[in-house]
Amino acid sequence: MDQQIVNAIFIGSIYALFAVGYTLVFGILDILNLAHSAVFMLGAAITYSVVVNHGQSFAVAAVIGLVASGFMGLVIEYVCLRPLRRRQAPPIAALISTIGLALVIVAAVEQGQVGSLFSWLWVDGSNSLAFPAGTVPDPTWHVGDLTLEASKVLIIPISIALMLILGYVMRFTQVGRGLRAVAENPRAARLMGLDVDRMITLTLVISSALGGLAGILFGLSLGDISPYIGRDNVEVRGLAVIVLGGMGSIPGAVIGGYLLGLIEILALVTLGSNARGGVAFAALFLMLVLRPQGLFGTRLRERL
Amino acid sequence: MNRIRVVSWLVITFLVAACGSTGGGGGGNSYSGKTIKLGAVFSITGPGGVYGPQSRDGAMLAVKQINASGGVNGAKIDLTVEDDASDKAQSAQKAQGLIQSNNVLAVLGPTLSNSAVAVHPLAESLKTPILAVSTTGIHIVPDCKFPDATPCKYVFRDSLGEQTAIPDNIKAYAEDQHPKTGVLLVAQDDKFSSDGGTIVQNTVGQYNISLLKVIKFSKNDADLSPYVTQAVQLKPDVIFITSLGGIPAKIMNAARNLGWQGQFLGGNGFNTATVSKQAGAAGKGARSASAWYIGNTFPSNKDFVDSYKTEYGKDPDQFAAQGFTGVLILADAAKRANLTFTDVAGDRDKLRSAMESVNIQTPLGPFQFTSDHDVKQTVWINQMDGAGGFTLVKEIPAS
Repeated sequence: MDQQIVNAIFIGSIYALFAVGYTLVFGILDILNLAHSAVFMLGAAITYSVVVNHGQSFAVAAVIGLVASGFMGLVIEYVCLRPLRRRQAPPIAALISTIGLALVIVAAVEQGQVGSLFSWLWVDGSNSLAFPAGTVPDPTWHVGDLTLEASKVLIIPISIALMLILGYVMRFTQVGRGLRAVAENPRAARLMGLDVDRMITLTLVISSALGGLAGILFGLSLGDISPYIGRDNVEVRGLAVIVLGGMGSIPGAVIGGYLLGLIEILALVTLGSNARGGVAFAALFLMLVLRPQGLFGTRLRERL
Repeated sequence: MNRIRVVSWLVITFLVAACGSTGGGGGGNSYSGKTIKLGAVFSITGPGGVYGPQSRDGAMLAVKQINASGGVNGAKIDLTVEDDASDKAQSAQKAQGLIQSNNVLAVLGPTLSNSAVAVHPLAESLKTPILAVSTTGIHIVPDCKFPDATPCKYVFRDSLGEQTAIPDNIKAYAEDQHPKTGVLLVAQDDKFSSDGGTIVQNTVGQYNISLLKVIKFSKNDADLSPYVTQAVQLKPDVIFITSLGGIPAKIMNAARNLGWQGQFLGGNGFNTATVSKQAGAAGKGARSASAWYIGNTFPSNKDFVDSYKTEYGKDPDQFAAQGFTGVLILADAAKRANLTFTDVAGDRDKLRSAMESVNIQTPLGPFQFTSDHDVKQTVWINQMDGAGGFTLVKEIPAS
């Protein structure tokens, strides 16, 4: 069981990092950015491509992957959200528009072949790939009965540090106060002189960078990078995490991420391997029925 | 004089007509200037992408060799290969396009059994011969429309089914090492994998191996550590893996990382250099039964291996040999089928009949279909060498 708890903490860190970006946008805009899982994948795919196809070190590639993911935040804002906000479209329109962008991103990567339009981005189509051995030093440590792989262990402090920094920024800095003001009431924030559009753009850039980073760490530690890693591994689970933790709550997303990791492992150990896949849905359903505002949510969001 | 001329014309006319109507001459029909259009649906990308490219390369090599040596009774083979991205729906779509738009005479593929359940019944309903060159699951032939047990007339297979491969592999290992316990790791949402899992469960009892647990996961799960941890903690003698793509290699690496030293046994999913390479040292000794072994001494195997190496600069694998054989089978059948090249439906029917009596030498050995359109052949028990290749453990002659 001890090793399984290590497994749970590791995957929980990925869920948490992914879900923090998810919930940040929801907290500010009251919409679900369903392109988030595509940005998660894109971060991993670009980093892989820069290492393998463009011969750069992992550090350089990860920075490029991170910047590109952050840039996708701008794309989401300027292509999917701002035009709809200008027309005062309902949140469901923004939700659908982000789904559309996610499909476009996944299809673009999927079409990446040698000689194709997207070959600079990805040349392996639908294939699932791992970083070549030795991309980063990845020793395995044995501590008592536990086996600890460096690439997985490192994710835990990186995720926690980033989430703490984000928590600090949100609570104690002027930018954070601005973001929270926009979340509370955009109109009032605008009347108080805040540039609401700028705040929203900033939110999307931070959120997407976090999503991309989660993807990079996921690809590095699990050796699985394909156009579908976001859709198959974190999209629904991320949703379950933010419902568990309370939609819009950053501490909720962090706790929810680790909680889902643990619940999945508990289900596997006690109920059998079949149960692991469905447990995210069950948790999501139960939380919506029993405590719709989630563990840390303070009010029930009416708009999705 | 006039009478002699008339008689001569009559004789010539009779001979020409006679030539046109005989089918079994094996090369008596001239297809000179014609093109035999064939199609293939392979998984070049996606999880099946560790197998499909080799099937394609093997098939293309056979086409190149046949065309270079004068074609099929003078006709060139034109093989169109489509990538189904390892997706069942795309696979059916691509096969339908080849059959209905490209008007191909026959189709090779698809790569994955999971896709075959959609593609083979489609080819059957469109009365187009389809030859599976890598699908090894249950109910591929003859009952391609399972649970409907009606035998499919147009579906053939030159790939060794898991129903033969897995039991042979387990038997060979049990006779050598007498393992007592095992755990099965099976991808439950893929036909090839789940069929393999069923076969393992039905087989282990015969060799007194107690299956401690069946651990099911999704082929889309990236994080396999919890499943492997669960398997290793049971300390089995053997871990059976029935899954495709890079998954077996990931499981092997994770299990060795956790310090487990037992034996991996698998099926056709192991049988490609890509998987052996991905598994690396962790895969050393992992055993599977294969339809082909690079060092086999069948007459046409050495030529195949040499020309494949020359063409692609690497060793072929089982999937390349089966793809190559697939084209040889279709070419031999086409040679004897007395094709018209004007009536596609009629030609497909003639080809189908001719396929039933194929009897040729291939890299897989002497080849004939069984009455169920399946393959009957020598089985090779191979093990990964820890460096991306395989070594031979045992040869089991066709029974």
